[in-house]
Amino acid sequence: MVHLSSSLLKKYHKGYIVIRLALAGHKQANRPFYRVVAAFNKRARDGKYIEQLGSYDPLPNVHNEKLVSFNLDRIKYWMGCGAHPSKPVAKLLGLAGFFPLHPMTVTEAERLKVQTTDLAAGAEGEGVQEEEPKQQSA
Amino acid sequence: MFKVIGGRALPAARLLAPRCGVWVESVRGRKSRNDPPAKSKEGRIKLPPPVDPVEMVVMKERFTEYNLIMRALRLEFKEEVLRKKYEEETGSLAEERARQDAEEHKILMEWNDAENRRMLKIRQLRVQKETAEADQRKLEMILKRDHERQAFIQQKEQEILQLQEDAKNFITLENLDQRIEEALDRPRNYNYAIDREGRVVKRTVLD
Repeated sequence: MVHLSSSLLKKYHKGYIVIRLALAGHKQANRPFYRVVAAFNKRARDGKYIEQLGSYDPLPNVHNEKLVSFNLDRIKYWMGCGAHPSKPVAKLLGLAGFFPLHPMTVTEAERLKVQTTDLAAGAEGEGVQEEEPKQQSA
Repeated sequence: MFKVIGGRALPAARLLAPRCGVWVESVRGRKSRNDPPAKSKEGRIKLPPPVDPVEMVVMKERFTEYNLIMRALRLEFKEEVLRKKYEEETGSLAEERARQDAEEHKILMEWNDAENRRMLKIRQLRVQKETAEADQRKLEMILKRDHERQAFIQQKEQEILQLQEDAKNFITLENLDQRIEEALDRPRNYNYAIDREGRVVKRTVLD
């Protein structure tokens, strides 16, 4: 068994390093749990990774919280070595405050707000319209 | 997404129908590459999702800003990594460590040299003693051999003398007649018994 040094590994893999979410523990159905992981780009999602940099639990807990953890020191190191974060990881880090807030987060929030205001306006409008015909009829 | 048999996605056409007992929850793509599209999809034109131009402009701005900040952050992190590496290799702590390592090495080397010298002295004494003993033994061997040779010579001389003395009583051609005469004149009687203690018994059964 030959253990290659980092430069040789890079040459062997010919890819770049990404910080992404890997699904952990396939032993339970309908209960996902993600690890924030530094891995080579071409590796399988759940395959061998270089280092684990945190975790993310997508299902809310008893107090309605979704728990996320990050090893910021190591994330800084890997970013300094040229790692790219994936979109969900970038979004999570933006929400955490380590990165600037991702534009898509803001856009999604705005769209949701527009949608809810439309619905509320629609409901009010309907309520007003219902009252008017009732009054007219009455 | 869903469980796939054997880790590879097989087209459904190749899988056995449920009536044979083999069941698969869900598989991506019922049709293979060369199958024609369905009649219901005849006039279908696939379009990308609709884009709001106002939103798009705003989004572009936000993304340029975001990318700018991200690039700056990346450079910062790279700089920090390089600085840490530099500190590790040529910082003050590194010098201290190097100095301590060198000192330790020097101490150990001195100890090693002292040990070597001690062992050398011991070895020299031992070798000296061994050579002395070897010489001693060699001398002893030589002496012993000389003694043995001397003894051998002595023994041989004794035998020669004995033989010379015995030769006086030998029967030669000149003495032959004389000795025959003497033997005939003095008859010897060997008819006696003797036991281990040397008691002689001259009386025999024949008498």
